Amino acid sequence: MKQQSRFGRFTSKSAYAFAAWGLLAVLLIVCAVRAPYLFTASGIGGLLVSAVPLVLVVMGITVTALVGSGVDLSAGPLMIFVNVTLVKVLFDQQIGSPVAVIAWALGIGVLIQIIQAIVITVARIEPVIVTLSAFLALSGINLVILAQPGGQAPRWLAEWGSGRSILAPMTIVLITAILGWWAFTRTQLFTNLRLVGSNQRTAFVSGVPVTMIRVVAHGISGLLIGAGGLAYTGQIASGNPTQGGTYTLAAITALVLGGISLAGGRGGVLGSIPGAIAVTLISFTLTTFSLGSLASFVVQLSYGLILVAALLISVIIPSLWRKRQEVKAS
Amino acid sequence: MTTVKAQQRTIRVPLLSKASGQKNVILGLIMLAALLAVGAATVQGFLSGSNVRSMLLLGAFLGLASVGQTLCALLGGLDLSIPYLIGSANIGTLYMISSGVPAGMAIVITLVLGIVVGTINGLISLHLQNQALIVTLGVGFATVGATQVLTSAGASNAGGTSGVVPDWLANISSLSGETLGLPVPPVILIWLVLAAALIFIMRSTWFGRSTYALGGNRSAARLMLISEPRRWVTVYALSGLFSGATGILLLGFTGGAFVRVGDPYLFLTVAAVAVGGTSLLGGRGGYGSTLVGVLVLIALTSLLVGYGLNNNAQQFVLGLLIVPLVGFYARNPHIRQQI
Repeated sequence: MKQQSRFGRFTSKSAYAFAAWGLLAVLLIVCAVRAPYLFTASGIGGLLVSAVPLVLVVMGITVTALVGSGVDLSAGPLMIFVNVTLVKVLFDQQIGSPVAVIAWALGIGVLIQIIQAIVITVARIEPVIVTLSAFLALSGINLVILAQPGGQAPRWLAEWGSGRSILAPMTIVLITAILGWWAFTRTQLFTNLRLVGSNQRTAFVSGVPVTMIRVVAHGISGLLIGAGGLAYTGQIASGNPTQGGTYTLAAITALVLGGISLAGGRGGVLGSIPGAIAVTLISFTLTTFSLGSLASFVVQLSYGLILVAALLISVIIPSLWRKRQEVKAS
Repeated sequence: MTTVKAQQRTIRVPLLSKASGQKNVILGLIMLAALLAVGAATVQGFLSGSNVRSMLLLGAFLGLASVGQTLCALLGGLDLSIPYLIGSANIGTLYMISSGVPAGMAIVITLVLGIVVGTINGLISLHLQNQALIVTLGVGFATVGATQVLTSAGASNAGGTSGVVPDWLANISSLSGETLGLPVPPVILIWLVLAAALIFIMRSTWFGRSTYALGGNRSAARLMLISEPRRWVTVYALSGLFSGATGILLLGFTGGAFVRVGDPYLFLTVAAVAVGGTSLLGGRGGYGSTLVGVLVLIALTSLLVGYGLNNNAQQFVLGLLIVPLVGFYARNPHIRQQI
């Protein structure tokens, strides 16, 4: 009996992730029909290599959405900023040791996110304006650093992308991030973070250091987005300054699919990780149809439609669920 | 005694709020004057006729694109589909013209489609007001994807639309355009007339006042029998209409179609609204403020061009400068004051 009620609690707590898991299941069925090789060890390895950067970025913007800063529009360009600085600035300076590269990627991600957090909380400017400005500034500087796709990643990092087995370095990064997240949800910090996200005033009058929590949340987000930039560099083994906007859109789609409340406080990576994998699978599935030169437009079209549809579903399903519970209660 | 006091208070409140709105406009004008002075002192030919003309021309496009953003912001929403609708209108119109549809007809169809997409934006985001940002982003992306699929299906060169822009359209919005013999592109005059009309409408008509009322206090507006769904959808439809119009006019400016022509307007329209001092939370500001915001942004961009910065470096500097500009007067209150 207790087991069942625990299961009931789990499902009602995780109802937000419905859209992501549903879409993921549908896409996997489509893939099973159209591209069975996806379900071989190398197929799964390849999928992970292409999904991990997005998964990490989405985990990053999940934290900022949870703490109530809304959608972080700057996440894509920030990830690309890590990418272009790694292949251009660090590589040109002959800095290629794993320690230095990883420290740079994570450090710069944390730094830029903390600066944004301070502008949002201390200077008290609307988060939308801050992240939109960061989006513009970072997209601009990315193209200044690296005018077109090119450059080279350090060899050890470039080998990440060629991993075609399930236990590749990319998978280890992903597992580390997920375990880290699990540990993070066990901390007092995470509870406070969700409290700040769902009601900042209540948190403030309860003595929670609101500003501190928000800055730390953005710092954690920067850590994850920096790791995403590292994984992206490994994936393409070079630099590509043009993909920032697309990654932001893909990440937001995954976030919404995952049912994370954009008003703050509700949601978790249980929704955003399947969301990110589903978004990766969409473009993969579309490549199995021979669309030729139209492919990128169809991807654009379907991202947009899925974003809107996911938003509608993620609002409608929980409200239907709540109504059912009310009917049951009465 | 008490009744007299109450009367005094009711008179004072609107006066105060009006004065604070004017403060933002005055601050903006001071900023504009400072930018122009710096430009005149450091960049040769900054205030020359041709540069002022090109600034006003770029201002006209930004101003037209910002009409919808201003109205949405007054209701407490945002419209991020504007750049995508501009790009779609841009390639869609030229595609129709080049496949034999008369130019006038093509423009009308594009404008109607703009209204349709705007209405969809409004209808979906009506019940998802906190997510208006995401809704419009998704709808915009879907629109631009669909337009590209439709215009390049069957074509050998996907993504590129070739065609000849009609001369009269080129005259309206190109730098060398003339109005009745004067060397002023007509689009500048169209913008200024529209701005004056819009400021009047927002100040003195039922439409304008009820928009402010809704943005300021939703429940109070409902008690005044203002229909929120109708106003919300109308505003988003207007935003779609003006995005479409901007896309068509940009066709005359560039002389060809390019789907990413709208991209800068994602940021610039929001920035123009915010720099002008219109609150993104709704109810405060107006098109007069946006007008000042547009001029400040255009002067700033022109200054950066004068310093020899390329497009990407301009983006970087502009992105860094907007935050302090907005911080000047659009700061949120401390949580202590929000309780």
